[in-house]
Amino acid sequence: MRVPFEWLKEFIDIKDNADEVAHRLTMIGLEVEAVEHVDGDVVFEVNVTPNRPDCLNIIGIARELAAMYRTPLKFPEHDILAETGELDFNVDILDTELCHRYAGRIIRNIKICPSPDWLKNRLEKCNIRSINNIVDVTNYVLLELGHPLHAFDLSTIKGHLIRVGTPNTVKGQGATAKIKTLDGVEREVSEESLLIWDAERPIAIAGVMGGLETEVADSTVDIFIESAYFEPVSVRRTSKALGLKTESSYRFERGTDIKMLKKALDRTAYLMKEVAGGIVCGKIDIYTRRYMPEEISVRYEKVNEILGLRLTREEISRCLDGLGFEMEESADSLKIKPPAYRRDIKRESDLIEEVARIYGYDRIPAELPKATIGIDVQNSRLKTQGIKNNIKQALLRSGFTEVINYSFMGLHDIDALGIEAGDERRNLIQIKNPLKAEESFMRTTLIPSMIKNLLHNLSHGNRELKLFEIARVFISQKPEVRSRKSEEKTQTAFSLEPSAISLPAEREHLAAIYYKEKTKTLYRDDAHDFYIVKGLVEAILNDLKIYDYSFVRSPETFLHPGQSADIFIMDTKIGYMGALSPAIANSLDIKAHKPSVIVLEIDIDSIIPHGMQQVKYRPLPKYPYIERDTAIIVDSAIEASMLMKLLKSYPSDLIEDISIFDVYQGKNIPEGRKSIAFNVRYRASDRTLKDDEIDVLHNSLVNYILDKTKGQLRQ
Amino acid sequence: MIEDLKKTFLDELESVKSLADLSNLKVKYLGRKGIITAELKSLSSIPPDERPLHGKKINDIKQFIEEKLDSRESQLKKEELGRQLLSDSLDITLSGKFTTFGREHPINKILSEITDIFVRMGFSVEEGPEVELDYYNFEALNIPKDHPARDMQDTFYISDDIVLRTHTSPVQVRVMEKRKPPVRFIAPGKVYRCDADITHTPMFHQIEGLMVDKGITFSNLKGVLEAFLHRMFGADTPVRFRPSFFPFTEPSAEVDIGCILCNGAGCRVCKGSGWLEILGAGMVNPRVFENVGYDPEEYSGFAFGMGIERIAMLKYSIDDIRLFFENDIRFLRQF
Ligand SMILES: [Zn+2]
Repeated sequence: MRVPFEWLKEFIDIKDNADEVAHRLTMIGLEVEAVEHVDGDVVFEVNVTPNRPDCLNIIGIARELAAMYRTPLKFPEHDILAETGELDFNVDILDTELCHRYAGRIIRNIKICPSPDWLKNRLEKCNIRSINNIVDVTNYVLLELGHPLHAFDLSTIKGHLIRVGTPNTVKGQGATAKIKTLDGVEREVSEESLLIWDAERPIAIAGVMGGLETEVADSTVDIFIESAYFEPVSVRRTSKALGLKTESSYRFERGTDIKMLKKALDRTAYLMKEVAGGIVCGKIDIYTRRYMPEEISVRYEKVNEILGLRLTREEISRCLDGLGFEMEESADSLKIKPPAYRRDIKRESDLIEEVARIYGYDRIPAELPKATIGIDVQNSRLKTQGIKNNIKQALLRSGFTEVINYSFMGLHDIDALGIEAGDERRNLIQIKNPLKAEESFMRTTLIPSMIKNLLHNLSHGNRELKLFEIARVFISQKPEVRSRKSEEKTQTAFSLEPSAISLPAEREHLAAIYYKEKTKTLYRDDAHDFYIVKGLVEAILNDLKIYDYSFVRSPETFLHPGQSADIFIMDTKIGYMGALSPAIANSLDIKAHKPSVIVLEIDIDSIIPHGMQQVKYRPLPKYPYIERDTAIIVDSAIEASMLMKLLKSYPSDLIEDISIFDVYQGKNIPEGRKSIAFNVRYRASDRTLKDDEIDVLHNSLVNYILDKTKGQLRQ
Repeated sequence: MIEDLKKTFLDELESVKSLADLSNLKVKYLGRKGIITAELKSLSSIPPDERPLHGKKINDIKQFIEEKLDSRESQLKKEELGRQLLSDSLDITLSGKFTTFGREHPINKILSEITDIFVRMGFSVEEGPEVELDYYNFEALNIPKDHPARDMQDTFYISDDIVLRTHTSPVQVRVMEKRKPPVRFIAPGKVYRCDADITHTPMFHQIEGLMVDKGITFSNLKGVLEAFLHRMFGADTPVRFRPSFFPFTEPSAEVDIGCILCNGAGCRVCKGSGWLEILGAGMVNPRVFENVGYDPEEYSGFAFGMGIERIAMLKYSIDDIRLFFENDIRFLRQF
């Protein structure tokens, strides 16, 4: 809202300069966002909050200043001294719920011409274009008093009749209405929208925009001016449905001053007579629903209780005094009736805010609360937050940089990964009004974002990328598929609402991407990228005191079938990792760089129940250990996990630890076979072991393994 | 004669340059056919009464030679080890095999910083869904359908009843529904509005805070937020509270800090005002208490909310919000 300082000063005597006034306005809740100097005047750009439509005009802002400075407010000249003739005209309000008051005047013999300079200038300062003297006056009064007015060419109104009603009421249930509005657009208005009609047809959309056919034109001689109160919600719905926002609808939907309406009408007529001549005729004023303010009590004690002040009764009533309230004092409270322009005042708390506002927020002391000390011991989130933080720190320390992507994706992202129908990741949450097609779904996997981050950075010449993101994925829930069991499982995620409306499951995911070009470097590091990322996953799980995990070949279609794994904790799949399938890598055009791209995605929520279990101390061993190394040659299909499982299945209390330290295929090993070397550490808890005893035990272990694997000793 | 022997030995010891030389010298004096050994053997040819004196002299000199040889030996060994280590030496000016640590995203960095401050003041940390019921995002917060206040936020809709939360305030309602007062928590998280330009992204981050107890006042709201802002931006930072409007608080306040870029003199970022809007706050509207079943006669409280991107942009002088979500490591590695 633009407020020229000179205009403001017509209604109130201000001694302060413009900058000071701007500051004072800001401090009573009318934030001055900018102060502009125009033609020797100062224009304030005031940000009026939606609860204060009464301040969407000059007089409203002057009224606030008057209350604060405790000076009188002058009202602009509006008395119509000479009214001529009776009105040969009828107004009929058909929907009294939607139109509480409708007033109008006829002015005859006006002369349409350009507005005088003073009028033009004021409108221009408020960024409103001058059109002609009649339209300009309605706009002027809109800015000055905040009341939208509309002028019709009287000769175009048929049957000397104005009707106010919805198509439902005027034409019958379910009917709509067609009207060409001032902007030249033919519009279809729904059955429940309020319109203004003459004897035959709609001539304006109430509170939104007038019709083209009844518009004031250069040839217009007689006009009818409308000043009415339309119900805010109704105007808002109509304006939204039509996608049509005007200065008028903006004010009506926030609420106009039903009592000011008549003064606004007279002020308009007064100004029109001045700038367009003519004869002002009598007026019509149908006021069906009177403004009946409800009495609100504000307790002195409550004011102080909420604000943390010790104001006296006098101080409190003095704050409210200038705001136009009807007030009645009692021993413990003030009884208040708000004026018609303050429909935002409905409860005691609204009045407490008024006291604080006028008293001044800056005068209320800042004081830390005397709070109850307590800690929420039940809070399961503490564990979740702890685990999340551990994972994040581990990644940061391992050289991974954190990214944050939008929670959106496009359908093609899921298609590109080849995720099949029936996969949970296709239970999509769709946004009805996305900004872009590629942002029209909520992510069900973080991988597409990670790939985008990789491509963006590759295009800027980065040769090594380690990125991760921790964010939620959103899986649509069909209530009927959701079993009680799955509800228990997703305890940490947000579960179903009791109502029929179901929110998606929101699950916390970790995703990472690893990419390193094989460039010439000072130091060798020949581990396959797969093992680097796998090592990280193992380290993270171990850090959370989770040891019962396994890696199993992954069926994910977008991963390299030979270089990917699903990750399990016991029987729960928590995620997957591996090289992007060459088909996808090629389609992304990163083939030029050749090395593999390793991705990782883990559902953190499914780790939570396993993580951070209470640690129990184990005594340190008292007796020394004995180690034995052995290499065996087995079929190359036998993988490490299988061999470890066999070794661990050998029944002996003396085996403390087993590890595989070499896997070799090639020279000196037959086709289709490979050599695996492992180390076994033996220890007894109650004595020192003897070498010959372990020789026997180890031999027996090796024979057991050779038997199970059909392998042979490597010499 | 024996004195000569000592002198000769010392001369010879002087010329020893290696452990091998030393070993030869040792043999020459102490070996089975060595000079000292021979001297000891010749004792038998000396008159018996002179033997003890002479014998002692020889033994003294033997001990002397042994000590000298030992000390020379350890000295030589030390020198040899030194030479050997020198030949193993590395070019210590080559750069190390360094694993660069990763960097936390600047938004999360600010988020943790703010969270820490409130946790120290006894606030716990809560979360809520990002895909939220219209009820929690609006209705329960006293923002009915068809209310102009909905225009303050451009909402992404999933259905008529489900939205992407436009602020973290719904967490207030969810927590209060579940818990009896006193409550004191913050709720950081992602929020969404359908808006995109140099200062708006469709997704951004907020932190919500709520404190409800008996006897909580607007004065307490000022106390807590001032303490927070002084900790976050420096103890000298001016803070001002001015009236504003949020449907779920009353009285409502906008909280400004003195512009950290121009120290209040007025600049482009603060639009010449010298102040930066940093958070919104207010006393919880009794209607919200009624919606969650708290008695507004018994309890009062305050709520506040702030945008993280804005704070990060001010703190790091970033002028385009979209940089946060491009995830260019040349940007991310600066924090
Ligand atoms: Zn500044």
